[in-house]
Amino acid sequence: MNVLEATRLGVIGMFLSSAALADGHLNEMGPEELLPLAQAEGKVTVYSFTSRIGKVEAAFEEAYPDIDLQGFDISSTEQIARLQAESQAGVTNADVVYISDTPVVLTELLETGIIAPFVPPRIADRVPSEYQSPLLAQRLSTKVLMYNEEANPDGAPVTNLWQLTTGDWRGRVVMVDPLQRGDYLDLMTEIVLRSDAMAAAYEDQFGKAIELGDAANAGEKFIMDLFANDVILVGSTDDVNVAVGAKGQESPPVGFTSYSDRRDNEEEGWALQVANSVKPAPGIIFPAVLALAAEPNNPAAARLVIDFLMGDESETGGAGLAPFYVAGDYVTRTDIPPHPDAVSLNDFTAWRIAPHETAKIRSEIGDLILTLQ
Amino acid sequence: MVDVTMNRQGRRVLFKHGSVLKTVVLALLIALIVLPLLRTVLFTLQPDTIKAWSDVLTGRLSTNLFYKPLGNTLLIGVVVATGCVFLGGFLAWLVVMTNVPFRKTIGVMATLPFMIPSFAAALAWGALFRNDRVGGQVGWLQGMGLDIPDWLAWGITPTLIVLTLHYFSLAFTIIAAALATVNSDLVEAAQIAGAKGGRILMGIILPVTTPALVAAGSLCFAGAVSNFATPALLGLPVRMQTLSTRLFGMIEVGQVGRGYVIGILLVLISGAFLWAGNRIVSGRRSYATITGKGGRAKRLDLRGARWPLCALAMVALVSSTVLPVVILSASSFAPSSANLFSNWTLHYWVGLSSQSIAQGIPGIVHNEDIVRALSVTLALGLAVALAGMLVGLLTSYTTARFRKGWMSAVITQVSFLPLLVPGIAFGAAYIAYLGAPIGPFPALYGTFALLVIAGTAYLLPFSVQTGRAVIQQVGGELEESARLTGASFARRLSAITVPLAIRGLTAGGILIFVKIIRDLSLVVLLFTPTMPVLSVLAYRYASEGFGQFANAITVVILFISIAASLIANWLQAKSQPWLKN
Repeated sequence: MNVLEATRLGVIGMFLSSAALADGHLNEMGPEELLPLAQAEGKVTVYSFTSRIGKVEAAFEEAYPDIDLQGFDISSTEQIARLQAESQAGVTNADVVYISDTPVVLTELLETGIIAPFVPPRIADRVPSEYQSPLLAQRLSTKVLMYNEEANPDGAPVTNLWQLTTGDWRGRVVMVDPLQRGDYLDLMTEIVLRSDAMAAAYEDQFGKAIELGDAANAGEKFIMDLFANDVILVGSTDDVNVAVGAKGQESPPVGFTSYSDRRDNEEEGWALQVANSVKPAPGIIFPAVLALAAEPNNPAAARLVIDFLMGDESETGGAGLAPFYVAGDYVTRTDIPPHPDAVSLNDFTAWRIAPHETAKIRSEIGDLILTLQ
Repeated sequence: MVDVTMNRQGRRVLFKHGSVLKTVVLALLIALIVLPLLRTVLFTLQPDTIKAWSDVLTGRLSTNLFYKPLGNTLLIGVVVATGCVFLGGFLAWLVVMTNVPFRKTIGVMATLPFMIPSFAAALAWGALFRNDRVGGQVGWLQGMGLDIPDWLAWGITPTLIVLTLHYFSLAFTIIAAALATVNSDLVEAAQIAGAKGGRILMGIILPVTTPALVAAGSLCFAGAVSNFATPALLGLPVRMQTLSTRLFGMIEVGQVGRGYVIGILLVLISGAFLWAGNRIVSGRRSYATITGKGGRAKRLDLRGARWPLCALAMVALVSSTVLPVVILSASSFAPSSANLFSNWTLHYWVGLSSQSIAQGIPGIVHNEDIVRALSVTLALGLAVALAGMLVGLLTSYTTARFRKGWMSAVITQVSFLPLLVPGIAFGAAYIAYLGAPIGPFPALYGTFALLVIAGTAYLLPFSVQTGRAVIQQVGGELEESARLTGASFARRLSAITVPLAIRGLTAGGILIFVKIIRDLSLVVLLFTPTMPVLSVLAYRYASEGFGQFANAITVVILFISIAASLIANWLQAKSQPWLKN
């Protein structure tokens, strides 16, 4: 291919891509149709809330050598701040947004028109509708109670969340400060939303009905008691993982972290395991969503990336899904078999968050936690 | 001692001239510093955010949101500033005025801690003193079988120690520069008159260097109260909050209004302290000490105290320089931070991507993000140092030569302002300020220019402060003579003030370069993926558990910082006059 030809192809590509945009056809295109347009664009920028974007980048560029994927690992909370600032500045840096924190994402990014939904037509019939709207969920992620299975070979040392408020676990429960990471605030909020279950669990544990005292409900009572019991707050989930999971500890703490971080056990020398049987639930399960920037610089390549991240037609989704096909992450595609090493989604007892419900009282719970610190 | 005395006529002419210069400088500072902050204030006064004020100041949240963090913040500011002035002053006195052994070594080492990012020092503290409170890996000392109590592992005590060991070198640099220019006539006269060392110290040196001590104390105070990384790393596990960690937390969870209110209050409180300090300095008539006369005074003979004092200095210096560097370097080679000194590998430096290590992240030499960030960081450091020196020279010249009048007072206060603003708040203010298009000017979000402008404004206090200390000590008589013989303003500046002040300005430029390339808090919000800088990459790796990459990048930052200082020394052999014999 000589220079002239390449230029001509590029011009055609640009023409096609703008024509497609004008017709709104991009959303209906499969990867084969997107590819030439994406190749003409040549690059694509992805904001991702997980460091696994590094593996995606390598796999994507191997599959599509002509397209340079620039992946950036940015926490959900920061992505929200960044995307808002960029929107205010009239700048679009990201083409694709891969993010959790849906209670905030829906109100602050989707409803304000900063990001837009996209569901690749190729897999649309294989993702349940609840995971297609308002944004496409690629997988479900977790913040759940984990323990050290090396120190507790017979199973979780905790069977009821209320045990965490007793003397045995004083100063031995670790989590990230809910005022610094949104998904932990979501966890606290869910505990309040599930106050009835918390009240029942209290009775199971202590054999008497809960006395609320200053608390408005059983969930708030739990949070207040947990903080009164010297819960340890750290800065990141990896700090929780190390604290709970590091091998060779005599009486390791327990902590709330991502179930899927168990995948790093071997590499990091951890012994993390989920306390799935804890009552009333070990924590929360929430969607990780994929979206387009409202006006992406590289509209075809952006759609191609989302298509790629939803996995190919091989049994476990191929290279695009491989980083996420791990125990503890639940891929939303119905035709991908569950990971064999994980508790199946049906048996997994964590609460599903309802983003709109969470959004309603989230800041109130933030304020409650603020008074406890 | 020769005073700056001008005749009335001369003063009148200068004053008139000064008005123009002062207006220009003030306009510049307003555009760089006041407007972004004003936007922050206006933001909190909007109808839907104004409630943040009552939440922070009077509501049921106020105790935890504001008053408790305030107490910690003030405690940190006062203790760290005092500690820094004592430690920095002690070392400066040893190096400049006495015959302590290894004077030059002490002098060089005392300037190093400031080049180490404070988060690196905090991480190093953890590696040594971390106990089992948060479980997981314990520090080296706990691993040796010692039982480290919580108060030594976490919270206010380690924060105070780490910050003092970080900021004292700032105090040292300022005090040493001042001591080096103490008029030797005075000391010699006192020695001839039979005054003892203590009497010379209390009667001459302290009074003459008071401005430097106050300046050092205020800078350390301001740095300590707005430091984020250290209290966050060492305080969070025991829920110790300062105003800056609180502010960061609020902005992180999207409660921007409350965050800005806390930031504004922090600015006001620190402002009150600095204003008081500034009053002490500007209340003095004069302290011109370089007069073109006099030789070096004889050094104080410490006699039997030579070695004990040397040992004392070395303890502080080794623990603030060598130790963190050794720990950082070791952990950039060690696969597990539990065993810092075993199984070393070069993977984190030169390894190619491997699926089995660190999620396929290649060693930093092969990582294109890091390589790009390196060039951006270096360019940023140079641009900000240059811009900072220019604006700093203009500002310090203006306030030093035209000290009278409300405009000078305002210029001084405004040039100090960025010190009181935690970097993250300053970054947020700049996004609000230049993030969106202003009239015909395009939005600067994500551009190199935004980083340079914000960096210059943010670090202006350092360039101004250094420039000011030097320029004020350049005797006004020299410039006055030149003026009387008909030299123009530009000529006087280029032929007298700049050559005499170049030492301090170069030092200031290096300070700025080093500060910006290892700054985290300012750039963490201004950073965009297309304009990456090293410190943010290091922070990201650290927060994601890839400590080795973070430490390897930190070692690179350290290397650049030290190299920068050495090059500057080479270019400007006289930059550390107190090391001369």
